Amino acid sequence: MKKSMRNLAVVAGAASASFALAAGPASAVPSTVWTVSPNPASITAVNSGNVVLSVNGIAMTCTKSNGAGTGASTTGNPATVGQITSIAFGATGAPCTSVLGTVTAVPTTPWTIVAQDYTAATGVTKGYVGNVDAKVTVGACNFRVTGKASATYTNSTGALAVNSVAGELTVVSSSGCGAAVPVGAKPTFKGTYLFKSGASIPTIVGSNP
Amino acid sequence: MNGPRPTTRSSRTRVRGATVAAFVALAPLLPAAAVAVGTLKADAALPYVCALPSGPLPVTVRITADLPERVAAGEEIRPAGVTTTVELPAAAVADLTALGAADVRAESRLSIGVAQHEQRAEAVWNGTAQPVAVPAEGPLALATTGDVPSLTTGAAGDLTLTAGGLGIDLVPSTAGGGATTPASLSVACAPAPEAEGRTVVATVPVGAGTDTAEPGTPTPPAPSAPGSPSAPPSPGSPTVPSPSSGPPVPPLTPDPAAPGNPGPAGRPKPPGAGLPADRGLGTADEDAPGTPAARPDAPRCVTENPTPMSLSAYITGYSNVRKQNGANVIPVSCVLIEQGLPEMEFREDGIHLLTRAVGNFSYQGRKQSPPFEATFLTFGFAPTTATLVLEQAGPVVIDSDVLLAFPDNIAETYVRVPLVLRVLDVKVNGTRLDVGPSCRTERPLSSPEPQPAKYPGDHLTLLGKGQLINGTDAVGYLLTSGGPLTGEATIPAFKGCAADRENLDRLLTAAISGPGNYVKQIQGQTCTILNELPTADPQCTEDRQPYVVPKPER
Repeated sequence: MKKSMRNLAVVAGAASASFALAAGPASAVPSTVWTVSPNPASITAVNSGNVVLSVNGIAMTCTKSNGAGTGASTTGNPATVGQITSIAFGATGAPCTSVLGTVTAVPTTPWTIVAQDYTAATGVTKGYVGNVDAKVTVGACNFRVTGKASATYTNSTGALAVNSVAGELTVVSSSGCGAAVPVGAKPTFKGTYLFKSGASIPTIVGSNP
Repeated sequence: MNGPRPTTRSSRTRVRGATVAAFVALAPLLPAAAVAVGTLKADAALPYVCALPSGPLPVTVRITADLPERVAAGEEIRPAGVTTTVELPAAAVADLTALGAADVRAESRLSIGVAQHEQRAEAVWNGTAQPVAVPAEGPLALATTGDVPSLTTGAAGDLTLTAGGLGIDLVPSTAGGGATTPASLSVACAPAPEAEGRTVVATVPVGAGTDTAEPGTPTPPAPSAPGSPSAPPSPGSPTVPSPSSGPPVPPLTPDPAAPGNPGPAGRPKPPGAGLPADRGLGTADEDAPGTPAARPDAPRCVTENPTPMSLSAYITGYSNVRKQNGANVIPVSCVLIEQGLPEMEFREDGIHLLTRAVGNFSYQGRKQSPPFEATFLTFGFAPTTATLVLEQAGPVVIDSDVLLAFPDNIAETYVRVPLVLRVLDVKVNGTRLDVGPSCRTERPLSSPEPQPAKYPGDHLTLLGKGQLINGTDAVGYLLTSGGPLTGEATIPAFKGCAADRENLDRLLTAAISGPGNYVKQIQGQTCTILNELPTADPQCTEDRQPYVVPKPER
């Protein structure tokens, strides 16, 4: 597992395969009752492996990213089981980088954690991070990206693996970026965050009573 | 001699910002207790994979360093005798011989993950090597040495140092001492998969009663079989995940007194020092004891009426004077830049993102460097000190070409500028000679120009190389985050230098002018008015000057 995580960190291109494996088969009947434990949960998150935002082939890498949020049991499908109330990209001495230069990314929160499918056999919830909204600056280029990003959450590891597909995120404004990051560009966002609620790993369980 | 003579060098803060760690405090300092100190000899030979022109190749990287056997909490850990030896295989050497290289000079940047309990930071161990001959065939060992940042932790417990990514800059030269094409190679290396679990270079116990039974133990590669990542690096030392794969844990605080880090406090606070609530939980800035210190002194560098495309940056470095067999420091100079919009161009090898920026030096309203002194021996015996200045004879043109070969991005940036070397003052044997107001090189300095038809005329050409490989951090030179720019200058003859009817042109020309003068300039992180966003690493001071003041590197 350690080896696969390392590869995940290093090889962004391999991420989709790893996530596809993690997602597993969807349950036959969609869950409508979502149990978050603890409930409510105060969540902290740190990245495991690099977080990469890619636009038009330009990769922006964050070796450090962390955040905080909340989780709570709820009903429905899709269901908002949690919120990311703060998230930071980069840290002192470890800013996000790209070939266009140092990257600063400032999110507008909250972002939502939305559950759609739960596989009891694996303890994996499939869904997405919604309400994504961030301003990104690289040198003279700055743009705003909004949308959602597909993700899976694995109860056994507390790993929220975000792996957006093209079209989920959109550049809604852009300045100084020219053809590199035009309005309408479809970035992708990939990264894995490890969740903790205090000393324990929060869990999400979907059911259909 | 093509390259500058090796000497003490400062750590370059992360080509992108990585001021990490000239000195890293992992926790608030505690009163230090006396601890007996011996020397811990770290010696690790690790398998790496390097991206060479002919493709990825396995290399062996040996890292040796002397560390204290044990330190007290709060006591400085100062690695000494740090040597990084890269053993290039024959296939890699063939890449050099294919360029016609007879000698090669190497510089290395080794990322060292520093971990204690859940705290992590990263330091960069820079090293330089004397030029060595390139063998016609067979392997080649390049041993680089240099001073590296010290470390301090306020907490007791084992402190582990783990080898990470390695960047190697190779500057080959031909048998005649000329530059090859390309003039330099930047090679990115990473621990090979079989190195997983074996990359801990050393473990230093901190505190009198740490959780390690034995004093510090160097952690050579575990004798485990390749592919056994669960093998512990050494008894009693915690397994330290790669910095790139582990969770970040604040606070990690650069020491303001350390080289390469911001200087004394008391200057305007940088933007981003106080982060808004939504900046995120537990970022280093928030939890660190204190905010980033103000920058060291540097010439004023402010863009009047800036636009969002305006960038400002400091640049400094060495320029060899081959005739004198020495190097001069070109002082910290301000460059004000207007960046153009990037354009996409489709070529056979992929999509290129092309960006042109145009700039000017700025010193007290003039397009020039600050004055600087150079000392040399005229005719080998008369100590001569000259006050010099580099004056622009045209704009600084910066052309960036980024190959978007996703997931890799490869950047080459050429900086071209016509610069005239002006002599303001000369003292020979302590006696001032009036050189007059018009003592300059008769033409701008020139360089080997890869595209002479496109870029005619005399100008200095410097090349910066950067890259981002497989979703890892970008490294090398990038216009907005800075980095090393290298090239070679021909200094033309001097003209207009006269003292009391005595023509000094020939004296200065004989002492200074000539070809093959290696130039290495370090550009710092740029500042832009867009930098209102909070950032972990400040880019601007409050009065919109570049926050990062680079230091010359050999």
